[in-house]
Amino acid sequence: MRIFKKTKQKTTNKQETTTTQRRGASQWAVGWRRFKRNKAGLAGLFIVLFYIFIALTSQWLAPYPPRSYLPLYQGEAGQPPSWKHPFGTSKAGLDVFSEVLHGARGDLYVGVGATAVSVLIGLVIGAIAGYLRGGAGDFILMITQVFYTIPLLPLILLFARVFMILVAQGFGLTLILLLLGFFGWSTISFVVRGEILRIRELEFVKASQALGASRWRIIFHHIVPNTLTPVIITASLLIAGNILTEVVISFLGFGDANTSTWGITIQEGITYMRTEWWTPVFPGLATLFAVLGFNLLGDGLSDALNPRLRD
Amino acid sequence: MEPLLDVKGLKTYFFTEAGIVKAVDGVDFKVEKDETVGLVGESGSGKTVTSLSIMRIVPQPGRILAGSIMFEGEDLLAKSEDEMRKIRGAKIAMTFQDPTTSLNPLYTIGSQLAEVIREHNKDLSKKQVTEQVIKLLEMVRISEPELRIKAYPHELSGGMKQRIAIARALACGPSLLFADEPTTNLDVTVQAQVLSLLKDLRQKEKMSLVMITHDMGIVAEVTQRVQVLYAGMVAEVADTRSLFKKPSHPYTEALLQAVPRIDQRKDLKVIPGNIPNLIDPPSGCRFHPRCPYAQEICTKKVPPLEVTDNGHLVACHFWRNLSLAGA
Repeated sequence: MRIFKKTKQKTTNKQETTTTQRRGASQWAVGWRRFKRNKAGLAGLFIVLFYIFIALTSQWLAPYPPRSYLPLYQGEAGQPPSWKHPFGTSKAGLDVFSEVLHGARGDLYVGVGATAVSVLIGLVIGAIAGYLRGGAGDFILMITQVFYTIPLLPLILLFARVFMILVAQGFGLTLILLLLGFFGWSTISFVVRGEILRIRELEFVKASQALGASRWRIIFHHIVPNTLTPVIITASLLIAGNILTEVVISFLGFGDANTSTWGITIQEGITYMRTEWWTPVFPGLATLFAVLGFNLLGDGLSDALNPRLRD
Repeated sequence: MEPLLDVKGLKTYFFTEAGIVKAVDGVDFKVEKDETVGLVGESGSGKTVTSLSIMRIVPQPGRILAGSIMFEGEDLLAKSEDEMRKIRGAKIAMTFQDPTTSLNPLYTIGSQLAEVIREHNKDLSKKQVTEQVIKLLEMVRISEPELRIKAYPHELSGGMKQRIAIARALACGPSLLFADEPTTNLDVTVQAQVLSLLKDLRQKEKMSLVMITHDMGIVAEVTQRVQVLYAGMVAEVADTRSLFKKPSHPYTEALLQAVPRIDQRKDLKVIPGNIPNLIDPPSGCRFHPRCPYAQEICTKKVPPLEVTDNGHLVACHFWRNLSLAGA
């Protein structure tokens, strides 16, 4: 066993002589070096950065404001892609290109925001479940499992419909964001709980306890920061899932009718798919690449940061 | 002179779902000032739990049920958690087995050493703390300490990590250090370095050292006194030289026989069987199922700790009759 370990170390040393010579590299710096070598992960990162850029600047980039039927009044409804309308216009007169750009804003808002809510809830609940032993911890774990098992989409559709009547229109996206966030924390919670169960048994936790560190310090300075790596990986994959779910919700007509999202544009165009393919295809492709980008990024992060896959 | 540490009748049980594990069951343990004591036994004999109990950091579901722990004349079991925190690290410190996980991978070694110093000396300036960190690194013979304080644990070798862990334990000049198997996960040459370092530091820093180990070679090399534990109870306590020359407990003999010797072409003697299940330990002497000299009485009566002619403390019914082989 020992011999095996040594030979393994030697080969990796050869590969990383250039990197190990530099001093003072944190785990993150090492992770970034490993990430850089992963082409798929890097592609994911560029896609994600591109989408974020679009989302932040869509109001200046897009030739038409969100949900604007101006092309209809210009007599340009239902046109195929052209220089004026790069992605064509819908039957009702939407400029698809503008809608895709504005949709990036709406869908990233929901995808990232809902994930942030889930991470916050998941971190707290997972940390408590991992820290408490016995009955209380088991109970929290059971609740987490319930949230994990219930089919989310019908539930969210139901809530979206119920609250849509109550909430003033215009908060529709935020409502979906909150619903996705409040129901989607279970995976994060599992990850955090598992990591805490693992990390609390590591010797540096015992060592800092033996050297007089307070319980508070041990949890928040030593244990929780060590769970962040898998949380970031899971969150990246969760963003992809949330974007996709939002597109489905909007496509099914449960979204916010006054805000541009990819789902709502796909829905508008799907009936005329045979003759005017451009209306559903471009927002569909936008969704595809967004989900792909976040998934590639998550996989790349996982390869670069996951200690179990480390050579 | 009163001993630095005087533990009497310590009982630490773990209340698991499978039953009550009597990990430490009535252990007496004494450490004098400026001495090195070996705490010896197989895995599961209660060495580590004894030391964790003394620091009062027994993990759940373990609890200290009985006993007294007098340290520098004060009863540690009577102290509040806050008072204990001020003692841990400052007066009693501990290093752990596995150098690969005993340092937090997220922080530089400099900040991890500084953390301990600051915890116990709140009024030191940043510069003073850094100076002290560098001094500590020099003390454990780390080259280029000014550069190394910015290194992360994964950039160091196992031996260096263990030396950093020792430096961290010594950061506040404790009077008692528990070293829990400090060399188990290290290469042989590095083991020797760490051992000689511990030996030197113990003398220089005027502290007492408790070596927790199952390696009789280490015991012979660094300790003055040995306490042998078996299944949560004391088997034998003796002066190291005299223990190696003439053990009084059959378990000690078995431990000594299980050490490979280069000068004798003999098959290695293995202790038959395993350490007993501590939920339902054997009746009478806990060693009797594995003991070659066991007789009827051993299965029934727990042997009391008695003083032998050569000054050993031994828990065996037959210490008078046995003539056991040393190393």
